[in-house]
Amino acid sequence: MAWITKNSATMTIERRQQPCLTEEMKADMSKRLLPRYETKMGALLPVLHEVQEHVGYLPHQALEEIAAFLELPPSAVLDTASFYEEFHFSPVGKYVIGVCQSIACEACGHQPIVDHLRSKLGVEPHETTSDGLFTLLCMECLGSCDTAPCALVNEDRHDLINIEQMDQMIDEIRAREGGQG
Amino acid sequence: MPMTGPVLTRRIPTFPYGDPKKRRTYWYDDYVKSGGYESLRRALEQEPAHIVDMVKDSSLRGRGGAGFPCGLKWTFLPKDYEGQRYLAVNADESEPGTFKDRLILDYDPHMLLEGIAISCYACKLQTAYIYIRGEYHHQAHILEKAIAEAYDKGIFGGKGLLSGASSFKVDCYLHRGAGAYICGEETGLLESLEGKRGWPRIKPPFPAVKGLFGKPTIINNVETLCCVPFIVEHGVSWFKSLGCESTIKGPPSFGTKLMGVSGHVNRPGVYECDLGIPLSKLVEEYCGGMRNGKKFKSAIAGGISMGVLATDQYDAEMDFDIGRKYEVLGLGTACPTIFDEDTDMVMVARNITRFFKNESCGQCTPCREGSGWMYKLMCRIEAGEAKMKDLDLLLELAGSMGAMPGTTICGLADGNNWAVRTIVNKFRGEFEARVKPSFVPVTVGVG
Repeated sequence: MAWITKNSATMTIERRQQPCLTEEMKADMSKRLLPRYETKMGALLPVLHEVQEHVGYLPHQALEEIAAFLELPPSAVLDTASFYEEFHFSPVGKYVIGVCQSIACEACGHQPIVDHLRSKLGVEPHETTSDGLFTLLCMECLGSCDTAPCALVNEDRHDLINIEQMDQMIDEIRAREGGQG
Repeated sequence: MPMTGPVLTRRIPTFPYGDPKKRRTYWYDDYVKSGGYESLRRALEQEPAHIVDMVKDSSLRGRGGAGFPCGLKWTFLPKDYEGQRYLAVNADESEPGTFKDRLILDYDPHMLLEGIAISCYACKLQTAYIYIRGEYHHQAHILEKAIAEAYDKGIFGGKGLLSGASSFKVDCYLHRGAGAYICGEETGLLESLEGKRGWPRIKPPFPAVKGLFGKPTIINNVETLCCVPFIVEHGVSWFKSLGCESTIKGPPSFGTKLMGVSGHVNRPGVYECDLGIPLSKLVEEYCGGMRNGKKFKSAIAGGISMGVLATDQYDAEMDFDIGRKYEVLGLGTACPTIFDEDTDMVMVARNITRFFKNESCGQCTPCREGSGWMYKLMCRIEAGEAKMKDLDLLLELAGSMGAMPGTTICGLADGNNWAVRTIVNKFRGEFEARVKPSFVPVTVGVG
């Protein structure tokens, strides 16, 4: 999504005591990532990736801390981060199921699978289940058109998906996570 | 010795040369055992300018979509500039239907690294960034490991290329994108590397003069760079024996090409073929024919922005002439998506317009607004609620936005236009059957 507009006048930033970007992370990134780029801003994408991986999403507090770390205005960090689809500004489910909706997958029947997931999880695309387990996404081409339809579950790509396979995966996750909690 | 058999897929078993089930990733040791980094050794014995000349003489054309001559691009670098220069490797394979580079990244990452090392030596580029799309998590891990191996073995960093065989030192870093198709556009990619939103830049200045961080920068596709070691090792005339000459007096299409076939075929996948192979041969011989015995209806030429081939263009030769010969935008990534006779072409057009609406970066008004309008029009046509004049409006929109009418900075809108225009023009009957007539019925009483 290219544009996200927010009314900055009424926006409040939730803060927590402990920083999102810890001192160890800063030291590690200063040593490993910053020397790779001519400007500090060049390291913005890798830093955003690592902070999101650490926190789970990118709260505004994290964006401010990243801005301070890279000596950028916070607006520049938000400007970049909001351009890219992979960065989330609110918590997402523990399992993000991204079904590919591009042409090869649609031609090979992704729609019944998405419809089934919508009813099984009780959410629309880009929503998260109330137990915080699943986020359903419709993504653009995942680069696996030979195994269409396909889906990305967190980092793992699932090829040639069908309704039974998705059902089984969700049931297994629910049994596993329910058992723990 | 001239090389026969597969080139880019010689370590990746691919039909008809090998069984895809036996594919595995070649790490450094296996890669070297199977002749890897031999081309780099040979390249370092030559003058950098000689390698540029070889690539130029081979007529190697970019494999990323535009087909721009690779050697020519390299010569655009400023001659007398001694400072920092960059190589940006475009592994942002986001075009729907395209998955050929993934094969290389999955199984033969060092082939890419060798191509990078040779190209950096030839063009005196001190730093290379591999820009990989965010969705390729697994491939990013493989590349991270391969780059670490290459550093460890002295290919990059340290004393210079190949453990000091040349005093020229190259650094290579992986840079992950985060889900934006436009970052595959070369200047959008540079902006993204600089930590900004991926908004394409106005050209000129061209990246070879003023690119990443304002320094001279070469941007090449993964597959293009992978061809370079083979040209160095086996020579220009060998490379020119593969592929085909142009039949319409255009620039030639030499070399082999990874072609990723998807859609309604029996064996979808990546195949390595000489450029110029007819699409029908690719489908019937390599992919085992159409799925469920259906008939061929249409194919996206190579990535959705290239447009579609009509039913009677099944024999179209897959080379860089395809655009001028078969009324599509071009060869693109040579990754066709095949549709059988049951496919609804209105659905195909709607899907494509949705993609471009989602991925328009929002910088140029005609593309930002036009792609949204086109998607809405397509939804209306698909739902059977549109009128005949909407079809003309759709074509008018498609003719008014893009870099070719001169209303946008990059070619994203052109991709949208060509896809829509070719589908509507080649399958107009299907669209007309879905829309209502534009005239208003009038009853006239006589007498």
